[in-house]
Amino acid sequence: MIEVRGLHKHFGKLHVLKGIDASIQKGEVVVVIGPSGSGKSTFLRCLNLLEQPTEGEIIFEGINITSKENNINLYRQKMGMVFQQFNLFPHLTVMGNITLAPMKLKNLSKEEAEEKALNLLRRIGLEDKATSYPSQLSGGQKQRIAIVRALAMSPDVMLFDEPTSALDPEMVGEVLDVMKELADDGMTMVVVTHEMGFAREVGSRVLFMDDGKILEEAKPAELFNNPKHPRTKEFLAKVL
Amino acid sequence: MDFSFLRGYYVYFFTGTANTVILALFTVFLGVIIGTFIALMKISRNKVLSFIATAYVEFIRGTPLMVQLFIIYYGIPLPVPDVTILGMDMSRFIPGVMALSINSGAYVAEIIRAGIQAIDRGQMEAARSLGLTHSMAMRYIILPQALRNILPALGNEFVVVIKESSIVSIVGIADLMFNTNVVRGALYKPMEPLMVAALIYFILTFTLSKLLGKAERRMRSDD
Repeated sequence: MIEVRGLHKHFGKLHVLKGIDASIQKGEVVVVIGPSGSGKSTFLRCLNLLEQPTEGEIIFEGINITSKENNINLYRQKMGMVFQQFNLFPHLTVMGNITLAPMKLKNLSKEEAEEKALNLLRRIGLEDKATSYPSQLSGGQKQRIAIVRALAMSPDVMLFDEPTSALDPEMVGEVLDVMKELADDGMTMVVVTHEMGFAREVGSRVLFMDDGKILEEAKPAELFNNPKHPRTKEFLAKVL
Repeated sequence: MDFSFLRGYYVYFFTGTANTVILALFTVFLGVIIGTFIALMKISRNKVLSFIATAYVEFIRGTPLMVQLFIIYYGIPLPVPDVTILGMDMSRFIPGVMALSINSGAYVAEIIRAGIQAIDRGQMEAARSLGLTHSMAMRYIILPQALRNILPALGNEFVVVIKESSIVSIVGIADLMFNTNVVRGALYKPMEPLMVAALIYFILTFTLSKLLGKAERRMRSDD
């Protein structure tokens, strides 16, 4: 579904991504782990071109989205993204947050968009929050709403950028549960996270990144129990 | 202190105050229009536009309002009609409003730019990640939030304009300051008319900032 070829990213003099090749198949849950500063968030943000790659190609559903000829806005509609800081729109209600993009981009009527939003909210048990503003929600609720906001566009793939890192520990579980459910439903997901439990349990493949490169990739059981690369061993020894 | 002169001269203060308010309203209105354009130019990715806007803001903020007023009033022969509307000589009023609004526009531009740039980067990223175009994101996500930062500061700019507009009295616009000087000259008494003027300016600005504070609190409680 997504093919990454020879991806490089520079921020000024800083060489953050040093040649990444990866592919993500439909229905896979790819978990990206690695120390901070390893470039894993930048890698994820390159997938929907929130960061413009300096070099390399991203092929999404057979289309080279890094090419200037293709309108990235159309492909972003099919790639949902969830951020560490939630980034809900504070001036809109929960309902407004979820229905804005479907109404503006998919020409859904207000009723259709709201019905769809309510169905999604029901799935995460937050339908009573539809008229609330983001400032009235807890961190865990905000992040679950942010997931629903992305799902409302019916994306083909969901990108998660450290979705639980800004949460109080007792709220991490509720967000991971929603993500797990999503994975069980067959959603293609790319997840950058420090939650090794989630990687092990839900991931279909784990990528270990360090210093702008993918050093190792394997099924979770294999990577966690039998890491090959010395850097992976060192990292896992510290976090597990 | 003897304020008995007010019985004979109150009309001067009354029309002066009215003219000052009219002057300030026109200035703020035009200043906001100029400021919006300059702000959008300044944050645009077009280097030429952004340079022009920056130069404008820096030049206006770096030179005295009085010099700007004199350049426009004496330096540029404007084809303004020699008519009087509401007791104000348009050949003086129009250049006066122009100078004030060109000046205010630079400050408004900075207010608007700061208001837009104060919005967290994540808001634009979240909007774009959903597939919204840059202009849609601006319209539905960034500007509505920026407006909340901008409106209170714009109110303060209105207060500033009411006070700063007194400078146009030196080119003969019959505002509150000008009429106060007329009364002062007629009475040969400086203190009392000036105190009346100061009090009126204070009432205008104080009432306005109280009203703005109230509006701001109401806006805050909306979220």
